[in-house]
Amino acid sequence: MKRLAIAAAALAVAGAAQAASLTEAFTQPFDALAPRYAEAFRRGGGLFRQAWVIGPSVDHPDETGLGPLYNRLSCIACHVKNGRGAAPDSENGVPRDMVVRLSVPGRDAHGGPPPHPAYGGQFNSEGVPGVDGEGRVTIGYDSVEVELSGGERIELRRPHLSFRHLAYGPLGEETKTSLRNAPPVFGLGLLDAVSESEILSGVADGRGRANYVWDVESGKSVLGRFGLKANQPSLRQQVAGAFVEDIGITSDLFPHESCTATQSACLASAGHENKPELTHAQLDAVVDYIRALSPPPRRDTDNPGIKQGEALFAQLACDACHRPTLRIGRFDPASALSGAEIHPYTDLLLHDMGEGLADGRDDFDAGPRDWRTAPLWGLGLAGKGGDGANFLHDGRARTLAEAILWHGGDARAAADAFRALAKDERNALLAFLQSL
Amino acid sequence: MYTKHISPLGAAFGPRLSRRTLLAGAPAAAAGFFVANARAEDARIVIITSFPEELTTRYEREFERLHPEYHVQFVWKQSRDAFAELSKPEQGGADVYWAPALGNFPALREIGAFRPLPPADRAALPGKPGAQQLSDPAGFYETYDVAGYGVVANTDLLKVRGLAEPKSWRDLALPAYSAELVMPAPAKVGFAPALYDIILQGEGWEAGWALLSEMAVGAQLLAQGALPTGLVREGKATLALTIDFFAVSARANGAPVTMIYPQRTAFLPAHIAITAGTKRFEAAKAFVDYALSRDGQKLMMERDSGRHPARPDVYADAPPALVDPFKLSPEISFAYDQEVGRRRPGLVVLLFDLLIVEKRDDAVALWRSLRAAEARAVNDKSKAALARARRLAGFTPVSATDSVDPGFLDRFTDRDARDASLLEHWRVQIAAARAEALAIVKSLW
Repeated sequence: MKRLAIAAAALAVAGAAQAASLTEAFTQPFDALAPRYAEAFRRGGGLFRQAWVIGPSVDHPDETGLGPLYNRLSCIACHVKNGRGAAPDSENGVPRDMVVRLSVPGRDAHGGPPPHPAYGGQFNSEGVPGVDGEGRVTIGYDSVEVELSGGERIELRRPHLSFRHLAYGPLGEETKTSLRNAPPVFGLGLLDAVSESEILSGVADGRGRANYVWDVESGKSVLGRFGLKANQPSLRQQVAGAFVEDIGITSDLFPHESCTATQSACLASAGHENKPELTHAQLDAVVDYIRALSPPPRRDTDNPGIKQGEALFAQLACDACHRPTLRIGRFDPASALSGAEIHPYTDLLLHDMGEGLADGRDDFDAGPRDWRTAPLWGLGLAGKGGDGANFLHDGRARTLAEAILWHGGDARAAADAFRALAKDERNALLAFLQSL
Repeated sequence: MYTKHISPLGAAFGPRLSRRTLLAGAPAAAAGFFVANARAEDARIVIITSFPEELTTRYEREFERLHPEYHVQFVWKQSRDAFAELSKPEQGGADVYWAPALGNFPALREIGAFRPLPPADRAALPGKPGAQQLSDPAGFYETYDVAGYGVVANTDLLKVRGLAEPKSWRDLALPAYSAELVMPAPAKVGFAPALYDIILQGEGWEAGWALLSEMAVGAQLLAQGALPTGLVREGKATLALTIDFFAVSARANGAPVTMIYPQRTAFLPAHIAITAGTKRFEAAKAFVDYALSRDGQKLMMERDSGRHPARPDVYADAPPALVDPFKLSPEISFAYDQEVGRRRPGLVVLLFDLLIVEKRDDAVALWRSLRAAEARAVNDKSKAALARARRLAGFTPVSATDSVDPGFLDRFTDRDARDASLLEHWRVQIAAARAEALAIVKSLW
C-alpha cells in the first residue's frame, strides 16, 4: 500500500514538469490544478514577475507602493526562474539576488532578533526619489583549501561583507549581519502541507530541533518551517515578509513600511501611500501561485552510479537530516496528492552546522550556528534555467562538493566521511545529488 | 573606519583545512563586515524603463562590472507614467530613458526632455529593416532594439489540426484559423495597440478593421500580454497574435512553438535617450554607450529575453530562435509610419472596444450568417449584395482621412477623457451598419 502511494505521488508530482524543458523545470504547475489554483497560477505568477511601481500610476494602479526603501522591484529579480539566487563574483561583488539581515543583540517582544535601530531588520540599498537608499553592500571572499582522500584539493570561498555610502550613520560594533541568498520557490506548497506531527517526529528521534516563531496572523508562537532558519511559520507570512522587506510593499500581515524612527524621509514618503499596498487577494494569488509550483521530477534513477550514490547518501547518514521522505496531509492545489509521500530531502528542522557556516545571529530558537536543513529536490537542475547555481545560505558554494565540505557541527561526521571516500564514490554521491 | 574581529576560520574543519589566501580586506567573521567611506559622492544613475527586471538586472550587473564607480537604479514605469515623470522639471531627476515606447520619445523630444546624444560608437547604428526608419533623425534618441509583430504557433497543434502556417494577416480571418486564434485586448495589453495598428496600416484603415472584426469571430480575447503566447506554449491554443520576444523566448526554452511574421508586418524600435536635466551626464552616457555596444546588444539575445538588437553586426552570434530582421525578405515588412502610429493608440483602443469587444455575440452571429450566405450565393446580384453586406459588417465610424489627421487623433490620447456623446453616436452608426448588413443577408435566405 505504501509503495503504491509513493509511486502515485511521484507520477503526479512529476507530471507537469516532465514535459517541460530543463530550463523551465522550476516554473511548472502540478498536473490537474484545482480551478482556484489554475487561476492563481496565472494571476499570482504575473504578480510574482511584476515590477512594482512608485505611485500614483495610471498604467499600473494596482501595483503601486514600491519602497520607500527596497532591494529589488520584483520577486522574480532575486528568484530568477523560480530558482535560487546567484552569488556575485569577487570582481563585481554586488549581491543582487541576496539580502543582508540586520539585528542587534537581544530579543524582540516575540523572541525574534531585534532590528537595527537605524537600518531596520534588513539592509535596503535602494530608495525611491527623495529617500536615500541605505548604502551599498558588497561581498568579497576569503579563500581556503581542503584536501580530500586521494590528494584532490578543493578551494572553498567564504564571503565577507563591506558596507559603503552608509546613509543613516554607522552600523555600530554590536550589529549582527546575515547574508541570505534567495532560495528556490518551487515545492513549497508541499512542504506547507506536511503536518506538524510529521515534522516533530524528527525531533522525537533526536535528529533535529524545532524553531518556534511568532505567527503574526494568530498572534501566537508556532512551529517554524520556512526561511533559512525555519524562522517563518507559514508560506503566507514568508511571502508577505519578503514583499515588505525586499520590495517595500505592505500587506494585511505587515501594514507598516520598514522605515525606522530615524529615517524621516522614509517615514514621510510612507505617509503618502494607501495601506495595504498588496491587497488580500493579491497576496492570496501569489501564495497560491507558489503553492501550485511543482518540484521537478528526479532523473536517471536507474543509473547504477546514481543508485550507488543514493546508497552512500544513506551510509554517510546524510539522510539523518536530509530526510528523503515526508508524508503530506491535505493538498488543495492538486487533491490527488493529498496524503502522498514526497521526497524533498529535508526534515524542516534546525541543526548546528558548525562555526564555518555560523552567522552569529539568533533567530527565535535558532542559534548562531543553526540552519534549517535545506530541501535538496531540484538540486541537479540549479543553474540550468538562468537561475543561480550557488548553494548554502549565502551562496558561497559553487559546487555541491563545496557545499558538502562546508558542513560542520551536527553534519561534521558526514562531511568528514565524504572527504574520506574514494574519488569514484564521491562522484557517485554527487551524481545522486545531481539526479534530484 | 570600522573593522570587526577575525573568526577562527579553520576551526570548524579540523587540521586538514588550511587557510591559503585572503583575497581582500578582513576575513569573514560571523557578524563581521567592513564599512568604507561613510557617505561618498553619489554615483547613482537613475534610469526610467519598462523592460522586465530580468533583463534590466543583466544590464545592471554587466555595466557595474565595467563601471564599479556607478550605481544603477531602475525606476520602472510604463509609457503613460513614464511620460508624466519625464515631463516634470529636470525629468524628475532621471538620467536616462530606456523603453519600448514608440510615442513617448518624439513627444518628449518635442518638449525638450532630451539632450542630443553624442555620436560615439554609433557607426553601426541605426540599422534599417526594410523601409523602416528606426532612430531619431534629429539625434536625440537612438534605437536600442526592434520587436517584430506576428503570430506564435504551436507546431504540434498545427499538425494535429491539419493547418499550414498562416502567411498573411488575412489568413487569420479564415474560419479554420480564427477558431484557433488568441488575440490580446489592446485596452489591457501594452503591445497590442501597435500590433493592431500595424495591421491597420498594412491592410488599410477600413479593410483592416473589417479584417480584425472577422478575425475575432472565433478568437479568444485575453487581457494579459504574456498569456496568448503562454496558452500556445502550453498547447491550450494553436495560434496567438503577439509581439515576438515572448515566442522567441518560449522557443529558446524548448517549447514547440514558432514565431511567424506575416506579410506586411513591421519591426518597431525601442529607444534610449539621455535626459536634458541630468546632473550625471558622463554616467548616463556610459550607460547608453554600453547598451548600444556589441556586448550590450548581445545581452538581449539571451534565452529568456529573445529580443532583436538594433545593431546588424551582432546577428552573427544570434541563437537559432532569433531571425535577423535586417535580412527578411522585402514582402514581410512595409514602411510603417511611426508618426501616425505614435498618435493612434488611443483611437485604436477605443475602436477595438466598440467594434470587437462590445456586442461581440451580435458581431459573431452577423459574420457567421454572412459567410453562410456567401457560400450559398450563386448569381452576381446576390454576390454584389453580399459584398455590400461585408463592407457594412466591417464598418468603422472613423474615416481613413481622419485616421491620419494628427488633430483628430490627439483627441483620443487621454483614454480617461473620452467624449461620451461621440462614442454613443459611433455606437449608433455601428449598430445601423450591422443591422443593414444583417437585413441584406436575411433577404437572400
